[in-house]
Amino acid sequence: MTLRLFLTILSLAALAAPVVFAAPALAHPHVWVAAREEILFDSNGDIAAIRHIWTFDEMYSAFAVQGLGKDGQPPTREELAPLAKTNVESLADFQYFTAAKTGPKYHEFGTPTDYSLEADASKIVTLRFTLPLKTPVTSKKPFTFIVYDPTYFVDIELDKQMPVVLKNAPAGCSMSTIKPEPLSASETSKLSESFFSGLSPGSDFGIKLATRTLVVCP
Amino acid sequence: MALTLASSPAFAQLARRNPFSIGVNEGAVGQAGRLGLWLLRQQAHFYQILRVGVENAAHNPSALFSLALGAFAYGVFHAAGPGHGKAVISSYMLANERAMNRGVALSFLAAFWQATVAIALVGVASVLLGVTAQTMTAAAGFVEKCAFAAIAGFGAWLSWRKGAALAAVFRAQAPQNSRFRCDDGAGPHGADCPHCIAPDPKQLGEDFSWRQGAATVLAAGSRPCSGAILALVFSASLGAFSIGVWATLAMAAGTALTTSGLAAAAVLFKSSMKRLLGAQSRRAEIFGRTFEAAAALAVLLLGLSLLLGLWASGG
Repeated sequence: MTLRLFLTILSLAALAAPVVFAAPALAHPHVWVAAREEILFDSNGDIAAIRHIWTFDEMYSAFAVQGLGKDGQPPTREELAPLAKTNVESLADFQYFTAAKTGPKYHEFGTPTDYSLEADASKIVTLRFTLPLKTPVTSKKPFTFIVYDPTYFVDIELDKQMPVVLKNAPAGCSMSTIKPEPLSASETSKLSESFFSGLSPGSDFGIKLATRTLVVCP
Repeated sequence: MALTLASSPAFAQLARRNPFSIGVNEGAVGQAGRLGLWLLRQQAHFYQILRVGVENAAHNPSALFSLALGAFAYGVFHAAGPGHGKAVISSYMLANERAMNRGVALSFLAAFWQATVAIALVGVASVLLGVTAQTMTAAAGFVEKCAFAAIAGFGAWLSWRKGAALAAVFRAQAPQNSRFRCDDGAGPHGADCPHCIAPDPKQLGEDFSWRQGAATVLAAGSRPCSGAILALVFSASLGAFSIGVWATLAMAAGTALTTSGLAAAAVLFKSSMKRLLGAQSRRAEIFGRTFEAAAALAVLLLGLSLLLGLWASGG
């Protein structure tokens, strides 16, 4: 009797304890990014790379430029180079916050090139880097990509004016952006979940809020 | 329990540091439902208010009041996320406390200690020494490592005490016919004869000590939060560090409100469970002790897994 009771209580405790400390893991964005994206086409008309142009919010910008720049001037590109390197290198662990696919197949990325971090006159910081696809991808089939932080520490939103630019694209190519509305009907969220499911199991929150870009060429 | 810990996405993500991390891990957003989304929206909303508020107050001190309000509200919602010592405080409450007002006091002290750590970190590193972002990130990472070690150490100490208390309950054999009576020395045995069903709570370290309270506050609040660090660095960049200090303190008050609510819930949960099982009964005593030992172990596991996460990320 006592043993059974003890076991019951023990299992109760084991059930209840995680509720207290592993309860919903809700980080929230601490960093905001306004992203502009460029799709770079090669001479064959294939998609060769994505160039990210990410402008940070005032707070992260202030963090990035602290201790740099002389006499209150914004820091130079050279002064910011070490931070740019750190940022881009550590992005590798997070698949560069980028997921791109044609049909059901996710594309792999190579090592980023041409990266820089620059501060404008009001010390707002912009990170630029080119993310090459491991092998160029045909643009004849619909190509989709999203830019998001799976941990949602960074909230990345596509720029309002010029979100995505097609560079050197064959004639007739077009792009459109689709913004999910996770709070609306469950249909929509189910669609986006199944669309990008399997990307980062258990931490797919950022994806639900991420805007998808669709590129189509004739 | 350990399994739950290991499978929690927050801990899985700890293995990797976010590229734009400012030195302390904020964990990941796992599966969030509507409530979670709503919380995130509120936090994001008040975070913007916080940023604009710092900007305004830096130029116009009369905006300080609305900044304080925004920071307070941000703290309330933000504390619903990971960190901020919620886990440590509420597990400690489950393991140890029976007094709600003390729990609330500990929550407030932990929140303000957390604010103090952030203010000291940014004040020394950014304002006095003028370090760069990388140095700041490394410094914050070091503080975080110490904080996690403190949680693990605190958990180990708590587990030791609570484990001993649990063992003591089991050692106290139930007498054959009288279930709930202690020998008072008037019977055939002396009062020190171990016939007591439930050991005297006083012998099990029920009494609250300030040393113990201080250890809780240190373990729960030593990890500064990213939001506070960012707000402080931002205000310093506008030449108004003191504005950031006020905002951080207001934020701490908001955080404390949420954590003390959780602490109170932990105390309530434990006392109502004990009442359900019958106060003063051996059952209730065993339940209480088991629960406390489990909660203490949870603090230890939490600290260890946080440390392991750092170690795995090469931090």
